[in-house]
Amino acid sequence: MKYFLLVVVTLVLSFVGQEFVPAVEWAYFARLLLVQTTFFCAAITVPYPVMLFLAAVTGFFWDARYHIPVYYEGSNHAELDFGFTIFLYGLMGSLIQGLRPLFRRGRWEMPVFLIGVCTFLSLVIQYLVLSFHRGDLYLSTEMWFQMLMTSLFSMAAAPLILLLLSRLAKWSGYQIKLEGITAKFRYGNPI
Amino acid sequence: MSRVNIIILIAFVGLLVWVFLFGPEKVSQIQRAFQSGFGPVITGANKVEDAVTEFGEDSMTGAELREQLETAEVERDRLRLEVLNLDELVEENNALRRALNYVERSPLKLVPARVISRKPSNWYNTLVIDKGHNAAIAPDSPVIVPLGERAGLVGKVSEVVGDDSSIVILLSDEVCQVSARIEGTTEQGILIGQRGALSTMPDLKLKYLSKHAVAPPGRLVITSGAGGLFPENLLLGRVKSFEPGPINGEAVVEAAINFDVLRNVFVILPEPSDSARELGVPGLTATPSGPDPETDPDSEGEEGPDEPDEEP
Repeated sequence: MKYFLLVVVTLVLSFVGQEFVPAVEWAYFARLLLVQTTFFCAAITVPYPVMLFLAAVTGFFWDARYHIPVYYEGSNHAELDFGFTIFLYGLMGSLIQGLRPLFRRGRWEMPVFLIGVCTFLSLVIQYLVLSFHRGDLYLSTEMWFQMLMTSLFSMAAAPLILLLLSRLAKWSGYQIKLEGITAKFRYGNPI
Repeated sequence: MSRVNIIILIAFVGLLVWVFLFGPEKVSQIQRAFQSGFGPVITGANKVEDAVTEFGEDSMTGAELREQLETAEVERDRLRLEVLNLDELVEENNALRRALNYVERSPLKLVPARVISRKPSNWYNTLVIDKGHNAAIAPDSPVIVPLGERAGLVGKVSEVVGDDSSIVILLSDEVCQVSARIEGTTEQGILIGQRGALSTMPDLKLKYLSKHAVAPPGRLVITSGAGGLFPENLLLGRVKSFEPGPINGEAVVEAAINFDVLRNVFVILPEPSDSARELGVPGLTATPSGPDPETDPDSEGEEGPDEPDEEP
């Protein structure tokens, strides 16, 4: 319980941190999505119901801060509707949960890669929804590059956030890793 | 999957549906509440960004600042006199218009605002300004800046998110579509920006021109006033090239405003007032408005022959 509260506090702090994250001009204004990366990292360390709770809270507050209400003709729902981020976080969190057993065995590589993939996927889904509402699909190299760089920034930050979360877990007495089997586990030779 | 997980998943989906059903007003309330609670952090972040941006820029000495202040004061006095002169001209013009049953012109009501945040969104080219409900800003209000002797269009207010903040969708975004015409011709089209927030200075596209349009490079593109959302004659950009198509022509337009360096802007409010005169923004002293039934009862429902259709 103490760990879950600490995760919530970490997510709140990531919102504060996000305000200070600049957009990188040479990467077509890609930026590190700190909140999203923190959520994805947290999602792999907690049970499924807690992950869903975190997805709901984080997605709600993300939309409360960053949602831009652009309405298309004849509808009172925005292109990217309020609450869409909750859906995305729930979906991506569920995907990430699939690697939780691996993470609990002490492997970080695949989860970090998956965090990058999930970041990329969530951006692609948002862009496709936006394009669907506008009636045509316009794909440019710049757009792909921006989404790729955003994913790479997430992948670069993920190990640090996972390290922080494991420290918090240790401090609060929460067991992320299955102690005692880490050294024995190898890919293709699960216990 | 355990029973607890299934129950939690159903509850999550229920919550999602409930949130999706929020109307624009509810969403606006939530954003306003969050904005007010999170305001100090946003302000702090913007101050840091400003400090980082200004770091390394040449700082001015006291003497240079005094000199600049004196120059600004001289310029202000000159503009005051110019505005007084313009007021007289507007009154004279209105008197003549009344005599001819033309729609009377009155000054725009402008609210000065400061840019407090740039590009907070992944998908939209936006700015956040420091004026909101307290300044009577409304969604879709045009946002402009003075450009020499003219006014340039920055974009429009997308949403008023707080008492002292509003989101502005820039002209460079695909969402902010403006009815435009090429100056000196009768060619009209729709000016459209880029999709996604990939650049602050993208080339704009002037679509739906006739395929035989005269659009030489360098020709100014201005608002046509059609649709009534944006006043006419606001500067948008310059033609870079023209591509005739099988049905329509399309011109590539270079934006007149560098959206990256905007610090101060003006928001046009719906109600006309004397603010434009007080502010002394050149080129912004007049815009069309409806006839006054008290002063001109005969003109009700009538328009002069030269007035555009969209005028009330």
